[in-house]
Amino acid sequence: MKRNGVLLALLLGAATIALIAIGTIWPIPSALAFAGGQGLRPAPTTPEIAVRNLADDIKTRSWGRAYGSLANKAEFTQAEFQHDLTGYYQSLRSYAELDHYDVRPLHQSADDAVIRLDLYWSTMMGTSESTRDVHVVRNGNRWEAEWPLVKKPVVPPQVIPVNYLRWDVIYPTGGDDWGEQGVEAPHVRIIDMHPVQRAEGVVILGELLNEDVVPAYVSVDATLLSKDQKPLGTEGSFDKIMHVLLPKQVTPFFINFPNAQLSDVGSIRMTPFSTLVPASADPVIGIDSQHLNPVPNPSLTGNLINQSGQVVNVAHVLGTFYNKNGQVVWVADEYVDRALLPQTPVPFKIHIPEDLARSISSERTVVATYSTGGSV
Amino acid sequence: MQKTEPIDSSQKPIPLSLILLLAVAVHLPLMLMKLPLKSYDTNFHIFFASHYLHHWFNPWNVKWYAGFSQATYPPLPQQWIAVISPLFGLEMGYMVVQFAAILLLVVGVYRFSRLWVSPRAASFAALATVFLGSESFLVYSAGQLGTTSAAPLYLNALPYMYVWVREGGWRPFLKATALFAAAAAAHHATLLFGSFFFALPVLALAFLDDRGEKPTVSGFVMRTLVIVGVTTAAIIVVLLPFWIALIHYPVTQTPIPHPSRANYLLSPQWGLNYFIVPYGALILALPFIFWRGSMVPKLRPLLFGFWVAFMLGLGGTTPVGPILLRRAFEVITMERFSYWATLLALPFVGLLASELVSRYRVKAAGALAVAAAFTCALAVSWSTFHPADGGTLGIDSNAVAAWLNRDGHNQYRYVTLGFGNQIARLGRLTDADSVDGEWNSGRMLPELTKNGGGSLTNSKYFGADGLRALRAILMHASHYGLKWVIVRDPSYDPLLAFAGWRPVDNLDDKTIVIWAKDGIPPAQPLNAPQMPPRWQGLMWGIFPFGSSIFAFLVLLIPDKRREEEMEQYPVHREESLLPGRMIS
Repeated sequence: MKRNGVLLALLLGAATIALIAIGTIWPIPSALAFAGGQGLRPAPTTPEIAVRNLADDIKTRSWGRAYGSLANKAEFTQAEFQHDLTGYYQSLRSYAELDHYDVRPLHQSADDAVIRLDLYWSTMMGTSESTRDVHVVRNGNRWEAEWPLVKKPVVPPQVIPVNYLRWDVIYPTGGDDWGEQGVEAPHVRIIDMHPVQRAEGVVILGELLNEDVVPAYVSVDATLLSKDQKPLGTEGSFDKIMHVLLPKQVTPFFINFPNAQLSDVGSIRMTPFSTLVPASADPVIGIDSQHLNPVPNPSLTGNLINQSGQVVNVAHVLGTFYNKNGQVVWVADEYVDRALLPQTPVPFKIHIPEDLARSISSERTVVATYSTGGSV
Repeated sequence: MQKTEPIDSSQKPIPLSLILLLAVAVHLPLMLMKLPLKSYDTNFHIFFASHYLHHWFNPWNVKWYAGFSQATYPPLPQQWIAVISPLFGLEMGYMVVQFAAILLLVVGVYRFSRLWVSPRAASFAALATVFLGSESFLVYSAGQLGTTSAAPLYLNALPYMYVWVREGGWRPFLKATALFAAAAAAHHATLLFGSFFFALPVLALAFLDDRGEKPTVSGFVMRTLVIVGVTTAAIIVVLLPFWIALIHYPVTQTPIPHPSRANYLLSPQWGLNYFIVPYGALILALPFIFWRGSMVPKLRPLLFGFWVAFMLGLGGTTPVGPILLRRAFEVITMERFSYWATLLALPFVGLLASELVSRYRVKAAGALAVAAAFTCALAVSWSTFHPADGGTLGIDSNAVAAWLNRDGHNQYRYVTLGFGNQIARLGRLTDADSVDGEWNSGRMLPELTKNGGGSLTNSKYFGADGLRALRAILMHASHYGLKWVIVRDPSYDPLLAFAGWRPVDNLDDKTIVIWAKDGIPPAQPLNAPQMPPRWQGLMWGIFPFGSSIFAFLVLLIPDKRREEEMEQYPVHREESLLPGRMIS
C-alpha cells in the first residue's frame, strides 16, 4: 500500500511538471497571445530571430528590453527609440498596439544581414502598416539589430500668417443638441452616385456637394430596396466621407453593404443629411507630388503639407477616382498615423483595387483633419 | 478500527462558533467599508439585483445590449440582494449577502472536511477558510458573488449526500437535494464542475470509507442514481428559463481573451494575479497535499479532485484546460478553478496544521498564523495594488446619470468609452439604455458577438477585435438610436470625430466629454426573440429564490439522530491516517 502511495505521488508530481513544461515550451494560442506572440524567448542565434525578438518586445511594449537588445543603442536614447515607434507628437500611433508583424530577409552575409520588418499597427481607425529595413550584425554567437531611427523632425522658427475663413454659429439656447438650431439645413446635393458589386458585397460610391453659402455637417445613408421595393438593409457612410463641408465643397462617400448582391437590388434610396455647424478653413493641408501609380500595386501617392502653424494630429486622405467620362469609379482612403507638423511633408499612399486601376484616368483628393489643439 | 477513546484537550477541535467570530472580525469591517465595490464584478451583480428589485418577474432588461435576458445567469444571490435592499440599500445589500456567503463557507468547509479528516483537522480547515487567499481574491478583487455563494451551499450539501448514499433516510436526501438546487440557483458552473471535483470524490469516499457500516453495492448505486436523478430534475425545474435560453441561444460568439488563460510562467504578471495571490501560503502546503493525498488511500479521491481543479486553475500554463474543457475553455474564466482547488485543499491544510500544532505547539501556531495573515492580507489588498476598476472608481457616475436622465436625453441610447466596470453602476443610476454591457454571454447584438472584444467601454484593451466591435456598433448608430457617446478616454476622440460625432457637453471638470451625432432617430425597442415569455418570468421569480427558502426550511428539520451518530464515529486519529506521522 505504501509503495502504491509513493508511486502515485511521484506519478502526479511528474505529470504536473510535465504538463507545465509542455504548456510552456509549446504554449496554447491563448497563452501565446498574452505572452506577446511567442513562447520561451529563443536566443538570437540568427538575424531573423534577433528581429523577431525585437518585434515581440515592441508588441508587448517592453521598451527597455527592446532598446537594450539593439547594437546601435549608443546612438540614441530609449525615449527617442520609443517615440520613433509611437510618434513624437500625439497621433494615431500614440495609442496604437502592434497587432502583428512579418519579417523577410533581404540580404545576409557571415557578419551582417538586412531584414525587412513589416509592422501592422492596430489603431483607432483600423490597421496601419509601416516598414523598416533593419540592419543586423553578428556579435560573437549572437545577432543584434541596429534600429534605423527616424529622428524627430525639427521645425525651424518661423512666422505663419493665419488668414483663413471661419464660420461661427450663435446658438439660441446654448443647448447640447448642436445640430438642432431651428434653422434651415444647408442645401446639399448628391452629384454622383452608383453601386458597384465587389467580392465583399455591394458598394455605393458617389459625391456630395454643399451648395450653400454656410458650412454643413453632412452624412449619407443608403437603403437597398429589393425589386418589390422591400428594404434589404440600411448603411451609412460612417468615416468614408468628409463630414464637415465648407460652402461649395465636395466630398466623396463610400457606403458598404457586406454580403449583399447587386442582382437582388431593385433600387436604392439615398438619404443625405445636413445641418448647420461652425467651421473653419484652417488647417489648410496642401498635397504635393501627387502621383497615380499604375499596376502592379496601383496606388495614389503624395505628400501632405500642413500649411498652418498648429500640429495636425490625424489626417484622413480621401481619394475619388474617375474614368475618362468623369464618372466616379472608386473611392478609397487612408489615415496618416503620424502627426503633421507645420510645413513638414508627410507621405501618404492610397491603395487602388487592381481590377479598377486600368479604368481610372483622373482623381481628386481631399483631406479631413483632427487636432487636439497642441502646438510644436 | 472502531476505537472510542477520550479526547486529549490538545486534540479538541476549535469551536466553530469561535471560528465564525473570527470570520466576523476579519471580514465584517471590510464589508462595512464596501471594499468589494472595487472589484471587477460587484457592480455587475448589483446592476442585476437592481433590475430584480424593479422587475422581479421580468428577466428582460433593456438597459444593456438594447435588451438582454437576465435568465442567462442564475439569479439567487442577486435576488437576495434585491429582497433585502429596502432595508440595507443595494450596495450594502450586496455586502450582507456576500458576508453571509463567507460565514456559510466556514461551516461548509468544516462539514466537508469532517468527511475526510478528524474534527480537529476539520476545524483547522474551517479556520483556514477565514484567511483563504482565493476567497478574498474572488470577494474583493474579482467580485464573483455567484461562485462564492454557490460553493458554501454546495459544500454543505455534500455531507448530506454522503449520509444518504451510505445509509439512506429521507432527511439527508431532502437536505442534500434542496441545497444542491439552491447552489445551482446561485451559480450553475459551480454545480456542473463541482459534480466532478467535489461530488465524485465524496461518492468514492462514501463507497470506500470504513467508518460505520459499509453500504451494499446495489444500495449505494441505487441511492446514487436516485439523488443524481432527483437533483438533476430539481435543477432543471429551478433554472428552466436558463436552460431554455442556453439551448436556443448557445454561447457561440467569438471568444474574448481573458488573462486567466495565460501561461503563468511566460506571463508572470498574470501568474502573480491568478496563482500567487489566490494560493498564498497554501503553495507551501502543495508537497504535503500531494504526498499525504497519495499515501492515505481514503484521501486519494480528494487528491484527484484537487489535482484536476489545480491543473485547470493554472489556465494556459498547461494544455489541460483546452483538452478537458474544449470550447468552454475559451468561454469561462479559470480563476474559479483555483478557488475550487483551494477549497479541496483545505482538508489537507487542516490536517497539516493540526499535526504541526500538535507537534510544535506555539511555534507552529505562530508560524501558521503569520502565513494565514499574510495570505489574507495580500489577497484583500490586491484590489489596491492591482485595481480591477483601472482607476475608474472616481468617475462621477451620478453626474453622467443625471445628464442622461434630463431634457429627454434618455430617448436615445448611449455608450461609454473608458468607464471600465463603472458602466454597471451608471446603468443602475440612469433611465437611458445602452448598447454596451458587462454580461458577455447574454449579449446577442451581432456587432458584438462577431468580434472578440469584451465591453465596448474597454474596446481598445481588446486590440483590433475590440475596436472592430466598436466601429461596427457606431456604424449602426441609427439602427440602435445610439446618439450619445460618453468619453473619459481621449484616445477614442479621433474615431468619433471622423465618424461624424461632435462634442456637445462635458462633465466632472471636463474629464468626461459627451459626444453626439445628428440625425439619429430616438431608440426603439428591438424585436428580440430572446425575450422570455411571461410564464418563464414567473418561474424565474419563484423557483430560484424559492429553492433557497425551501433549503432553509428543510435545514430546520432536526437531524439529531445523525449528529449523535457522527459523534459516535471513532475519533479519526492521525495515527490511523498517517504513515510516518509527525505527532510525537
